[in-house]
Amino acid sequence: MKPLIEMIGVTKDFLQGDNIIRALKETNFTAYEGELIAIIGPSGSGKSTFLTILGGLQKPTTGRVLLNGRPFSELDVKEKSKIRLDNIGFILQTSNLIPFLTIKEQMVLYNKITKTKVNQPWMNELFLKLDVEKLKNKYPNSLSGGERQRAAIAKALYHQPSVIFADEPTASLDTKKAYEVVKLLAKETKEQKKATIMVTHDERMLEFCDRVYVITDGILTERPKA
Amino acid sequence: MFLALKELKYSKMKFALIIAVIVLVSYLVYFLTSLAYGLASSYTNAIEKWGSDEIIMTIDANDSIMMSFMDQDDYDSVITTGSKTKLGLFPAVINNPTADDILGSRIDVFFFGIEDDSFIKPNQSITLTGNKVIADDSLQKEGYKIGDIFGISGSTQTYEIIGFSKKTTYQTAPVIYMSLESWQQYRYNTQTPPDLYSGIIVRGESTIDASNKSLLIYKTDDYISTLPGYTAQVLTFTTMIVFLIIIVAFVLGIFIYVLTIQKTSMFGVMKAQGISNGYIGGSVVLQTFLLVLIGIILGGILTLLTGIFLGDVIPFAVNILFYVVITAAFFLFAFFGALFSVSAVLKIDPLKAIGG
Repeated sequence: MKPLIEMIGVTKDFLQGDNIIRALKETNFTAYEGELIAIIGPSGSGKSTFLTILGGLQKPTTGRVLLNGRPFSELDVKEKSKIRLDNIGFILQTSNLIPFLTIKEQMVLYNKITKTKVNQPWMNELFLKLDVEKLKNKYPNSLSGGERQRAAIAKALYHQPSVIFADEPTASLDTKKAYEVVKLLAKETKEQKKATIMVTHDERMLEFCDRVYVITDGILTERPKA
Repeated sequence: MFLALKELKYSKMKFALIIAVIVLVSYLVYFLTSLAYGLASSYTNAIEKWGSDEIIMTIDANDSIMMSFMDQDDYDSVITTGSKTKLGLFPAVINNPTADDILGSRIDVFFFGIEDDSFIKPNQSITLTGNKVIADDSLQKEGYKIGDIFGISGSTQTYEIIGFSKKTTYQTAPVIYMSLESWQQYRYNTQTPPDLYSGIIVRGESTIDASNKSLLIYKTDDYISTLPGYTAQVLTFTTMIVFLIIIVAFVLGIFIYVLTIQKTSMFGVMKAQGISNGYIGGSVVLQTFLLVLIGIILGGILTLLTGIFLGDVIPFAVNILFYVVITAAFFLFAFFGALFSVSAVLKIDPLKAIGG
């Protein structure tokens, strides 16, 4: 299996007053293609520090992050931003959808920014897979929570990134909808050989994940599957 | 472009209100400009028509050409590289002696006494002799036609209109051109007046013979700024217009800033996804430009309509150059306003988009 994103010897220190706080202890982590990995842990445990360093939104104090086998964390802000645009898909708690764009336009935006052609067949396929075909001309505000997250997944997959970050994607959903969304996410991760890293509070979702990591006090440990 | 347009389309009402403000302010600014320019031109139309470079009058007239008295020796002491001509200038009140209400027919005018071969005569094919005059065509609106006679207050003298001239007003009053002799007879109210006139109009550069210490050369523009009320009025209008443009820039800047702040979390998410500051900031600037563009086009149309319907009632004049400058100023200041928002966009931390 091909490693898509790797963290090698990463730590992160914060200055709080005069004290240096180590928010992330030395961490090694690899996500391979086709894997849905869950990250769980109480708030303040270092979860978001882990995710934002992985996503290149902040620099590690030591160590490095490799994306698709290439150095990522050392690049400057602009380059990282460009690489994120092409290689990482985001599904966020409150959805990453832009309120004034229809579901279809959310995807077209990527083509506008990168000055590329709209991939219509792939878009239609995603609409069907994620059952948002009927919603494609609607604005996010007129969708239900589940519909919104399905649309957000479609958007995250549209530009064919290698890694997907999902931050509490089920937080606003009832159990039935949450299962649907995570199942879809797992299915697409396998089919399209992505690595999906999902931060969640929701223990019920773990059965769909290939691996589960727990962060406590800045220490990342893999939890053996039950 | 894509983002900016889609948002305008989605939040129509919100942006319609902002555009309405821009329409009203730009309408006011264009309208004031037209009015200011129209009023200023009605002060100076007759002077502009001279195509002169310099105006010479006596020092003791203290900038007031009506109080300047010059004779033939003065004329001879002016040496010019171009051409020079005498001008007699004095206000008058004319009336229509055939009207039922003679008092009601009074009009304030300026009498210009000129030599018949003068380059400031508005219509070279008409010969001015005796009581024959060329009148500004605004008198046509008062009902005068070629061949009509008018009288003047304070005298039994009458004059016959033998031609009309276009855009010849002086200090907002219509100008009536007559021979210098007729003018002198009016000015001194006698059939045997002294051979005096008010000033010399010069095309080209001039110098005054050193023996003559009583004359002063004015550049035409300097002369215009000495007209009573002219400078004060132009300054007042200019100040109003400049401040209006700055105010609209602030209002627009604040609107866009508030809208940008409202979208902070959305922009944070976009940045986390790797959308560049350049794209987001560009979209904000472009949106501002679109709002200004739509606003000033509508404001411009309103101004034109006003000009068409009220042009006869108010001194409304179109000056493309002024419009271009004002439009450019609108865009420039709106751009500065938008920069506040762009700097706010730059400061948004994509980290905040990812909670947990």
